[in-house]
Amino acid sequence: MDFDTSVKLNIYETIAHTTRMPISTDVASAIGSSVVEVEQAFQRLYEKRLLVLEPGSSSHIRMAPPFSGIETQHRVQIEEEVYFANCAWDAFGIAAALKRDADIESTCADCSEPLTFQIREGRPLPQEGIIHFAIPAAQWWQDIIYT
Amino acid sequence: MLFFRSEEHVDRWCKVNGVMKRPLVSLDQLWQLAVTWYGNRLMVESRRPGPDEMVSIFSEIGLEGPFWDPKSDQWASA
Repeated sequence: MDFDTSVKLNIYETIAHTTRMPISTDVASAIGSSVVEVEQAFQRLYEKRLLVLEPGSSSHIRMAPPFSGIETQHRVQIEEEVYFANCAWDAFGIAAALKRDADIESTCADCSEPLTFQIREGRPLPQEGIIHFAIPAAQWWQDIIYT
Repeated sequence: MLFFRSEEHVDRWCKVNGVMKRPLVSLDQLWQLAVTWYGNRLMVESRRPGPDEMVSIFSEIGLEGPFWDPKSDQWASA
């Protein structure tokens, strides 16, 4: 396995198991590497669109899609664990990535009233709700945090 | 990529915020996207789909046209 893949897997395994996004020192310690090498890998993984760093930071991860490094309006509960997603797509994506039943809590972007969704046995239960994609695919990564 | 209670809520939100109404995606379509995009994200071989793969993935669930094409230049001045 190449170095970047080791870094990527450690990030995803850490957040999957702990719900906490690791920082570069955590990853370096876990895989027995230097912080500099890990932060260089973070940059390469960003260029592959597999993670997004906090603006102005080389050590803190804002997004390892579908997971968010900060609390958002998209809350995904799997048994006792709570994860946060970057957007509607990623909220469903956490359940898909972990291959588990999930209870998703979000809000209607218009009226701010709660919306809940359940993923059971590999599919969403029929519920009220729809998703609006405001940004065309060609522009998603121009400002991925906004997207 | 935001959740709304219904299309009526999308219409109101677009009007209030001066946002052009763009494609709507159902919960079932979103789940298919989630599985395709993220189903193997925790595995060694995982990677983000390339541009042509993206177009194919969207097309398979009925999302077609330049909006869903990451190589489209139609939006350069949008």
